[in-house]
Amino acid sequence: MNWAEFLTAEEMKLVHEASLAILEETGILVRNEKARRIFARAGCRVESESGVVKIPGNVAEEYRKAFPPSFTFRGRDPRYDRTIPQDGPIMITASSAPDIIDPETGRQRRATSGDIAGIAHLVNELPGYDVFSISTLAADAPEGLSSLTRFYAALRNCAKPVRSNTPNMKELEEVLALGAIIAGSEEAYRKRPLINHHYCPVVSPLTMDVESTEAVIYLTEKGLPVYGTICPNAGMSSPLGLIATLAQGNAEFLALAVLMQMVRIGTPLIYAVLATVADMRTGNYAPGAIETAMLQMGHSQMARYYNVPSGGYIGLTNAHTNDAQSGYETGMGTTAALLGGIDMLNMGGLLGSLMVFDFAKVMIDHEIAMMLKQLRKGIRYRQEDLCMGLIDTVGPGGTFMDQIHTLEKMRTTAYLPKVATRDIRDRWEKEGRTEIGFRALKEARLILTRDNPALFEAELDRKILARFTGLEGVAVSGIPV
Amino acid sequence: MAVQEIFNAVLAFERDRTADLVKEELQKQTDLQLILNEGLIRAMDEVGRRFSTGEFFLPEMLLAAKTMKAGLEVLRPHLSSNMGELMGTVVIATVKGDLHDIGKNLVAMMLEGAGFKVINLGVDVDADGFVRAAEEHKADLICMSALLTTTMPAMAAAVKAVQAYDRRVQTMVGGAPVTKVFADQIGATAYSADAPDAVVMARKLMTDRVHKQ
Repeated sequence: MNWAEFLTAEEMKLVHEASLAILEETGILVRNEKARRIFARAGCRVESESGVVKIPGNVAEEYRKAFPPSFTFRGRDPRYDRTIPQDGPIMITASSAPDIIDPETGRQRRATSGDIAGIAHLVNELPGYDVFSISTLAADAPEGLSSLTRFYAALRNCAKPVRSNTPNMKELEEVLALGAIIAGSEEAYRKRPLINHHYCPVVSPLTMDVESTEAVIYLTEKGLPVYGTICPNAGMSSPLGLIATLAQGNAEFLALAVLMQMVRIGTPLIYAVLATVADMRTGNYAPGAIETAMLQMGHSQMARYYNVPSGGYIGLTNAHTNDAQSGYETGMGTTAALLGGIDMLNMGGLLGSLMVFDFAKVMIDHEIAMMLKQLRKGIRYRQEDLCMGLIDTVGPGGTFMDQIHTLEKMRTTAYLPKVATRDIRDRWEKEGRTEIGFRALKEARLILTRDNPALFEAELDRKILARFTGLEGVAVSGIPV
Repeated sequence: MAVQEIFNAVLAFERDRTADLVKEELQKQTDLQLILNEGLIRAMDEVGRRFSTGEFFLPEMLLAAKTMKAGLEVLRPHLSSNMGELMGTVVIATVKGDLHDIGKNLVAMMLEGAGFKVINLGVDVDADGFVRAAEEHKADLICMSALLTTTMPAMAAAVKAVQAYDRRVQTMVGGAPVTKVFADQIGATAYSADAPDAVVMARKLMTDRVHKQ
């Protein structure tokens, strides 16, 4: 399949050169002292008063050579490991929303660890999702245990790769300790790290923070899987123009990627973005806009230029309910990104951009994910698939409905959705004129009534609760069905 | 009429001209209240009206606020303490651990455009920082912003510290993960959902406070 691309080969080179110039002449404000030292050691100019680091072009180019071409997500069950770009496009649920639409009342409230447990169970059972990025926060987490609560609830209920962030080093180390218990030992964990990490160390424009940068350096030193997402917001934290935002975002990616190589040569990367254009009528954050997809496509092209996997938060919607707006914003954004060659889509379950998780939305997004994967499969040409013999046998005016070939292909040729309706109107009326949100939630409940095959053995739970006091009170039973 | 020219200059985003016209009016001994209310504040009210109908976009709102501020800075030293009080002093910052400041800067600029004296402390400010600024600037209102959900505890700590310092100083919180429920939980005086809302709330808080006295 040929990707839909905006830039010519020459233009990609020019964008790359513009990014290098930004890094060398304007520089990056690096607030993390350790990072500044790493940049300095590698030959960058560090302005000690301001903390601005200027990365010479030749230094960036040198470390760029080390960018590996693939990234692997690992889960408790190796069958669910995914490597991009080979296994792409992979779907990762969108994450860290503070709120949830209560599936009983339909009202928005703060999300809890019980919600995470239910979502993890669901994601474990939905083939369209490859990685579970922890969808929400946990308002019920005991003091100081917010990350442990979230990761425990997630890992316990999902055997697929789990990914999320941590707010500080203490919580990161605790999460890694949890991982080691699950793996059986620290050594077993080192051999097969089953937790995947993500941060936003870069704050546009051109700034690297303290805490997230610290975590990225730490994980990179240890050879543990981590990647960052670059988020310029045109009109606010980048120029109000697409090519300029592309160049700045690209520079920000290079700064982070090159830092990671400086820490440990050959560190796997993902070129991940959530680049947006602010709605300048009000300043509102507008990830549902088509420009998000356009920028994603541009960044995916640059990822291919660097021969690294590309990904990002795509398919977010500004809508607050599962209506046409949420349908077309998620649908159009993800389709454009897919046709632009993205390897990893961070999408699934959120309404109101990044604020609220909704069970119905995660089911609808699952169908969209399955449709996207189908789209990427494309039409394969194989001579035997032309069915020349069959066409001749059935002949003019005949039917294919009862052919053996049809029987053999009936479950696999097309994606068969459970939530979207194909009923005629009459039937739809008789069945209550259901809206998609209703049908989606019904489907989610159906899945959640079944046992979760991913659940921890009781012995593992005991070990974890013995090690981390305070987690016993955490609700891990999931949503009521 | 000259004060009308000030009004026009603000709406045309003519910063220098606005400052010059205010100087001129001061020299002519025009009533201060007139210059402030009819020239500057009325202009910003018109800007706000055009912004809420979608005629003015955000950058125009900000440009107008900067222009208004230029005029106000010329006027401020001459304002009686009564008038100064009504205008109010606001300290604003992003809380400890958070480096995101665009929304907060938007609020700061719009508060300035509404006539408030605004001290913008920047980002990553801890509870102590807020209290010291409140003390130093005799602030009437402390505004706190956060984008990261993980920094919300720092917001709670800051609100507590400000109240411990002086119960009369009011606090207003905002930012993407902040809700009215959270604001109430941590004991903040007010919550605002966005920058225009922040201006409305700030004005209300100042008016209420003056009436209480």
